[in-house]
Amino acid sequence: MESTATPSSSPTRRGRDIPASPVWWQRLLGENGIQKWVFFIPIVFFVLFFAAPVVLTIVFSFFERTQFWMEPGFTLFAYENFFTSARAENYVFSMLHSAAAVVVSFVLGFPIAVFVRRRVAKAAQHRVILLFILPFMISELVRVFAMRPVLGRNGVVNNFLIDIGIINEPITIILFSPLGVIIGDVMSFLPFMIFAGFLALEAVQNYIFEVCDDLGAGPARLFGDIIVPLAAPGIFAGSVFIFVNSMGVALVPTLLGGPGAVNAGLIANQAIVALDFPLAMAISTIMILTLVLLLYVGHRLFDLTKVLEPIS
Amino acid sequence: MRNSSDTAVEVVDLGKNYGTVKALNAVSFTIDSGQYYALLGPSGGGKTTLLRLIGGFIQPTAGQVLLHGEDVSHLPPNKRPTSMVFQSYALFPHMNVERNVAYGLKLRKVPANEMRDKVDWMLSMVGLDGYNERMPHELSGGQQQRVQLARSLVLDADILLLDEPLAALDAKLRKDMCLELKRIQEKVGITFIHVTHNQEEALTVADRIAIIADGDLIEQGTARDIYETPRKRFTAGFIGDNNVLGGIVAGVSGERVTVDLDFAKVDIAAPGTTAAAGDQVSFSVRSELLRMVDPGQTADGAWQSVPATYLETIYLGLTTSHLVRLPDGSEVAARFVSSEDDIGSFETGQAVTIGWPSGRARLHVS
Repeated sequence: MESTATPSSSPTRRGRDIPASPVWWQRLLGENGIQKWVFFIPIVFFVLFFAAPVVLTIVFSFFERTQFWMEPGFTLFAYENFFTSARAENYVFSMLHSAAAVVVSFVLGFPIAVFVRRRVAKAAQHRVILLFILPFMISELVRVFAMRPVLGRNGVVNNFLIDIGIINEPITIILFSPLGVIIGDVMSFLPFMIFAGFLALEAVQNYIFEVCDDLGAGPARLFGDIIVPLAAPGIFAGSVFIFVNSMGVALVPTLLGGPGAVNAGLIANQAIVALDFPLAMAISTIMILTLVLLLYVGHRLFDLTKVLEPIS
Repeated sequence: MRNSSDTAVEVVDLGKNYGTVKALNAVSFTIDSGQYYALLGPSGGGKTTLLRLIGGFIQPTAGQVLLHGEDVSHLPPNKRPTSMVFQSYALFPHMNVERNVAYGLKLRKVPANEMRDKVDWMLSMVGLDGYNERMPHELSGGQQQRVQLARSLVLDADILLLDEPLAALDAKLRKDMCLELKRIQEKVGITFIHVTHNQEEALTVADRIAIIADGDLIEQGTARDIYETPRKRFTAGFIGDNNVLGGIVAGVSGERVTVDLDFAKVDIAAPGTTAAAGDQVSFSVRSELLRMVDPGQTADGAWQSVPATYLETIYLGLTTSHLVRLPDGSEVAARFVSSEDDIGSFETGQAVTIGWPSGRARLHVS
């Protein structure tokens, strides 16, 4: 091989065709070894811990209930039980409360995203956005529980309002009530609206805002005609996140809701406590269907593939 | 309108600092109505700052901007008779061409049918008839810039500001768009102020060119003035392919200045110069004026010449450059149109004499 090699610096085609034969560990790490299979690891993970539980949830929802568990079979009893009890009504209320939490989060959170994008120095924007992660460093349980001394009868809010003379009697509707659940959901999940809104706005070129200044679009037109349409995929993504969590995280209504204030997650929890596993699975299946429907509608409206794609 | 002497833009001692960084130092100039005016200079020289001050996108630290005689220094962009075309990515990505162009009219509450007529007329003006329904991402870079142009022109602003409008286009398209811009400007007859770092672009489009560098207006003039008779050393180095040489004034006689280069003395025609004997000066000769000459040819004073050593030939397509080294070590280039390059062949290291027609070098005292 050496004798036929020319001293020319450009390798010949023939020279490239004869690679040194790799040793066993090179083969193992090479393109036909681990490199070829490493991408299947996430798929295995996804099937094992995501797809399988979802399928099992749906399958179990049709099983027969036994005293302490369930046995294979096909019955719509769990669904009948759901739709003919107060649970269906509670589920709809849960959707409405979650929608309210989404709206409040948009009203409070999206302007923060706009403010950070438009008014904070470019170099500081990401740091400011990262600050909104700080609450997640505290246990969700502690954070939600800490709302009790704030919103309660003798809580910070009521004492303050009585001290400054705005009210005489404590406001009781803000804790152990559906309103309390909405407040708790907003407090817990608001950052998602800020993150998603900011990400969407970050993709909007500064020139766009300057064009609006040049054409004379006032703040209202700028917001309605330009900012919201361009950030729509992000707003939708944030909204779905908040809606799903408000529907499903049972902790918030457990700690802040009153007797009637439940969400879908808590209804399922209660079914598990009552050892009615098929019912719990049926409720979860209905939640999955609700979400899929929501995503489908959202995708048709906003094309969710654009959420993380820079706008050009 | 093009020959009217109305002043469209008057800038008086305009300055802008960013913190302690001076972006623009007390610049003053005027632009006549209907003129195509180019602000040309290297990146970071302050030309975009100047354009943005005129448009009202940033506020001046000092000085005034007068548009048609009215002080607009503290008015927002939409209250000025200006409209801006940005570098790129400035179309609304969620609106089609028609809605993009119509948006400014919509804000001005123009009736729908009038709006449609104006938009169609303006789209045909920029050569985009029938593109109404296209989305920005379906258009090429050149087409996107045409839409921006239409969006600005449709508002009847009488001063159009263009901030490096062709920078994102490839060379061939840029050339076509230059001619297109000039044609459109002549048709609409309003004042265009065009910022660019590309000299060919500026020479193509502009009636007048201002050279902006280091926050100062270096000099201004017609394309021909700037190219053929640059007054400042910076302009000579920036525009065209000039050879700039430095020396000391050995004597001034009438309109003729003798410059001592240490290894040769040359006479430079400089009517009305302020240079005096002993001054450090520089002069420039465009590379296409340099020729290899016989030493005897310079005797009658028609040519000025210096001794040099031949270095190499560089073929550039349209032109061919011959590089030579002067005794002080500086390199100069003589350029020929390749098809007329009858200079013959030289060898590296060969002693030659390089010269230029007397009167064609430009003296620069600053």
